[in-house]
Amino acid sequence: MSSLIQKRSSLLPQTLTLRRHFVTRLFSPSFSETQTCNPSSSNRKYPIHGSGYDFLRKNFTGSSLISVGNSKLSSGSDLGLLNSIHFRLFSSQVAVEPSTSDGLTVEGIIANQWPILEESESDWKSHASAIAQSIHLIKKRLQWKKLLFRLELLSSQLDKPDLWDDPVRAGRISREHGSLIGKMKEVKAFEQELLEHIEMIKLSREESDADLESESLKALIEMRRSAKEKELEALLSGDNDIYSCFIEVQAGAGGTESMDWASMVMKMYKMWAQHRGYGVTIVDEMPGEMAGIKRATIKVDGEYAFGYAKAEVGVHRLVRISPFDSAKRRHTSFAAVAVIPILGDASAHVQINESDLRIERMRAGGAGGQHVNTTESAVRITHIPTGVTASCQNERSQHQNKASAMAVLQARLDQLEMARQAQMNAQHTQSLTEISWGNQIRTYVLHPYRMVKDLRTNYEVSDPDSVLEGDIDSFILSFLSAALDKDEADM
Amino acid sequence: MRLGFSLPSLSKFSPIFSHYNPVQPISSSSPTSLKPQTPLFLRPPTHSTTLSHLQKWQNWAKTLASSVTSTDNGPDTTLLLRELNWLIEDALENPKSILPQLGNEDMVVTLRAELKDLYVLWKQRIEERRPFQYVVGCEHWRDLVLSVEEGVLIPRPETELVVDLVSDVVEGNEELRDGLWADLGTGSGALAIGIGRVLGTCGRVVATDLSPVAVEVASYNVQRYNLQDKIEIKLGSWFEPLKNFEGELAGLVSNPPYIPSEHISGLQAEVAKHEPRLALDGGANGMDDLLHLCCGTASLLKPGGFFAFETNGEKQCKFLVDYMKNELKGGFCDVDIVLDFAGKERFVTGFRSKTNYQ
Repeated sequence: MSSLIQKRSSLLPQTLTLRRHFVTRLFSPSFSETQTCNPSSSNRKYPIHGSGYDFLRKNFTGSSLISVGNSKLSSGSDLGLLNSIHFRLFSSQVAVEPSTSDGLTVEGIIANQWPILEESESDWKSHASAIAQSIHLIKKRLQWKKLLFRLELLSSQLDKPDLWDDPVRAGRISREHGSLIGKMKEVKAFEQELLEHIEMIKLSREESDADLESESLKALIEMRRSAKEKELEALLSGDNDIYSCFIEVQAGAGGTESMDWASMVMKMYKMWAQHRGYGVTIVDEMPGEMAGIKRATIKVDGEYAFGYAKAEVGVHRLVRISPFDSAKRRHTSFAAVAVIPILGDASAHVQINESDLRIERMRAGGAGGQHVNTTESAVRITHIPTGVTASCQNERSQHQNKASAMAVLQARLDQLEMARQAQMNAQHTQSLTEISWGNQIRTYVLHPYRMVKDLRTNYEVSDPDSVLEGDIDSFILSFLSAALDKDEADM
Repeated sequence: MRLGFSLPSLSKFSPIFSHYNPVQPISSSSPTSLKPQTPLFLRPPTHSTTLSHLQKWQNWAKTLASSVTSTDNGPDTTLLLRELNWLIEDALENPKSILPQLGNEDMVVTLRAELKDLYVLWKQRIEERRPFQYVVGCEHWRDLVLSVEEGVLIPRPETELVVDLVSDVVEGNEELRDGLWADLGTGSGALAIGIGRVLGTCGRVVATDLSPVAVEVASYNVQRYNLQDKIEIKLGSWFEPLKNFEGELAGLVSNPPYIPSEHISGLQAEVAKHEPRLALDGGANGMDDLLHLCCGTASLLKPGGFFAFETNGEKQCKFLVDYMKNELKGGFCDVDIVLDFAGKERFVTGFRSKTNYQ
């Protein structure tokens, strides 16, 4: 890696100048300027991931870096580039922990155990302590050690000269590298900003500059607030969390009883998604003979739909007095939930060979053609090599049903491929991949008492109605934080 | 080859604001006006009701749909309930805004038809078996939404594949892609429009139909997709309007009537009672029009030109292929049978031979 930098430096003397700019910039006293180094909202995070990737591509395809070097410092993509450079230097000397001039580090702040007071208390130590705690939590949620290790591994792969012999693999590695750098860099910048404000406060006290002190204190409060947002964001830092997804519900054994339960679960997700402002489309629905659904697939459109919904994967169990049982006995029913991300990046899709597909019209009995007038044009597509199928019947034309089924098939095959990749990179698998179709995750009891309990987190509420009306965010968040926060070793 | 297409006269109809009378005479073989009806979803949202009234109608409609027991392969309750959702989707000005408002019963919703008309329409659907596509005045076909009404065959899902066949053939063949294509017996104009959209910038389509209603509806659909410079709709039987184009066509497609006459009365009510017999009845064995088309195609297509016909199934496909190979010996090459998505032998395709025949 260092050899790469040397090579680039010799080609491009500007790089070093830029780096110097960058470093001085980080320590510049103006609050508003340093803010630009810390993209705090999620929509700013992604362009920078992308630029990390672009930067690498430029590097490896050998196209000009000059134009990048000459462009203005303040734009987001340049920051991505600069931070990538910064990181490449940094990662070869991981031991260098950012600190203030008198040696205070983020870990040091935590070790000091300054009491965390209300936000309204203007005690900088309290703010600093709260922010440091957040950074600690964020790092834990990002599985910091694994992340750094993975980055190191990816960097070494990127440095191999034969990398682009397999462009698909190379693209995947670049993308992952870019995305991880983005996350790493954001946390680093946040730490840096904290230390910088502390430095400013100390400085302002020495110089008795009350204006500067109050300004820096304000900046700390601001950071404390955005740190809370970042904690939440870090819960959704998985590779595909940002994407839209399909949610599938399948009735377990037990006939009408389970089919009714499956439709209740599906309704819960529809309402949840609508409350969150996501777009909801029914893709596929197999109604039960008497009531409910045998299975159904909905598409949930919107940022982080997969990140949240993935927490719902597993078997959901219902206990109630059956409305279908004339003897009014208590019944237990099951419904299985699967969630599939819809990858936004077309180049990440598995290539599907047209000749590997079998496309069938469903429920098409009789002579067809002019003989039949029906609005039913359901289509099932089978990917012959894998046996994966997808169907759609809720569109108003066969063509659209086919297109929708194709989108589901693509997502399923992508997920299959991701699972394969994840197995190959076993050291990087998140604990979330442990969740599987077969695991029972939550029980909903309507009788003899009323309760919904998550079996993974033991989180429970006593109001099943509101949960079944889509109020499941607290279940999702408690699961996501439990899944990511339990592992102190990842720090 | 140059074709001077004149713009269809707009003065004949003002589609968007035409008045619609929901109580249609059933199986009107000779409508009093040729003015095409505006599909429900394009009508102005000038009516309103409250959410609770709409829900009352919806509950009534659901009950009606649940009472259905079909004996002739007609729609079942599941399908009817789905159609009900689509009817609501078409009738509401803003269907998406309703969902979050459920429970707010006094909310005013804006409709594209009066609520009492929705009662009439659903009654027609269930009790008279009026095809859903006539009820809402449109058929979703491929990625198109085509206006349809009594007197015009509702394009079938199977027929969508013909556009894919043409699309495959013109890909990488500039001569076909930018040539003149014909759709005979165009009905709603579905095939003509579908093909018009896969052809190159110089590609043109001329479509014919014997039915004046079909010609009006097809012209309206062509206008809706702004393809009037690319597609011309002509009134007349099969090849008659194409007399000037002998040996000039790059391609020819048709979904002619192919149901044997004696089968018509046994078809499901939606088809038998409501769709135009002219578009369905193919004579004693259903082959009258297909055979007529085969013969004419040889002289209309230029060498290397492509054709695709929809048929009733295996028997007709085999007969046609045999006929082309033996009776019209040497006229065509690469004659093939293509399956539909239900696995039925549905289409016969091929090319006009490049060398002169016989």
